[in-house]
Amino acid sequence: MTRAVDVAGRELPPNTALGVRNLIINGDMRIAQRSTSVAGVTANGYYTVDRWFSVCSPTSGIGTWTDEQSTDVPAGQGFTHSLKRTCTTADASPASTDIAQILQNIEGQNMVSLKKGTANAESATLSFWVKSNKTGTYTVEWRDSDNNRQICASYIISSADTWEKKTITFAGDTVSPFVYDNSSCGNISFNLAAGSAFTSGTLATSWASRNIANLAVGQTVNLADAVNNYINITGIQLEVGEEATTFEHRPYDMELQRCMRYYELINDSNYNSYGVMSGGTSQFFAGCIDYKTIKRATPTITITGSFLIQGNSNQPGTTGMGTQGIGKRSVYISGTGAGSNVVNGYSYNLLDVNGYIKVDAEL
Amino acid sequence: MYKLIRNSISNKIDTVKRLSDNAYIPFDEANTDYQEYLEWLAEGNTPEPADE
Repeated sequence: MTRAVDVAGRELPPNTALGVRNLIINGDMRIAQRSTSVAGVTANGYYTVDRWFSVCSPTSGIGTWTDEQSTDVPAGQGFTHSLKRTCTTADASPASTDIAQILQNIEGQNMVSLKKGTANAESATLSFWVKSNKTGTYTVEWRDSDNNRQICASYIISSADTWEKKTITFAGDTVSPFVYDNSSCGNISFNLAAGSAFTSGTLATSWASRNIANLAVGQTVNLADAVNNYINITGIQLEVGEEATTFEHRPYDMELQRCMRYYELINDSNYNSYGVMSGGTSQFFAGCIDYKTIKRATPTITITGSFLIQGNSNQPGTTGMGTQGIGKRSVYISGTGAGSNVVNGYSYNLLDVNGYIKVDAEL
Repeated sequence: MYKLIRNSISNKIDTVKRLSDNAYIPFDEANTDYQEYLEWLAEGNTPEPADE
């Protein structure tokens, strides 16, 4: 028996996911494996909260920013963190191709529920909480990079320094399906400032072939126009349907696992074991380290800081740490022990002093 | 700048090291760092050879 479910005051059949319905990962900004604050941001990149990418104009630059995981949140909504961007060097007159954004790239195979490119294409609703000292009109673009299409919307921040909830419903796209694979099918981008190249057309409020002139039309706010301008955002949810339901507060461990599909920082506390290494000749050692989560793609590995290998009554330091083989489930690493303490055929624990391993399969 | 890295088990070159931050980048077309490396190659650049 199929029972209707009361969602947002409406009786709806349970034909969409009632759990894990938010297509955005880490929409409540709780997970920040890389850092909780990075100053001096002038280039595109992932800096603080997981999955959220900062755009700082790929051409001439648009101000300098501090990105941080903030504890400033809307009261009584169950949030603990937000993403905050603060302008620390102003750019009052952006060049035409300058743009500042916060965006999340979305993996194609997570978007099947939208039925995009079919006669049954679903609408989708984006909801979020936002706060800024700058009132005015902001814009959002949903970019379909598989088919070079876009749909956009604007919203208004009415009161300075006040949390406001915004809801935007996007029509379904019957024209072009996403590619349901492990690559990015596009992104949701929150525009913070945009030069004339992005504002000179007509805002694309229906799905259409992408034209950058149509992605931020009507954006009156240039968040880069003065030092200490800021925006906080949290509770970002993209879901199938025309209703914004209550934010889906997923368990912390579930959200962390979802983030780790794209980026995992292996960084236990000092002197914990990362894995077992086998000693070889000439102080060489090697061994396999498993990730906590299978990665989206074969990841980039960066090994930083100091390690020890413990065993055979010795704890020599290491040099020349690198990879010997990288997979989606694990990485085979190697290095050289200091001194003459590594014995061929013996086993050792790899311990960190202040070292860490970054496993990056982001979109 | 990049340097090719040989897999010691397979003896095949299947990774490239980005010298600016010592990141090891696998030859996986779904890896965005590898995509950047391919763009760098397409611009006419050449990586340092792998150690023998």
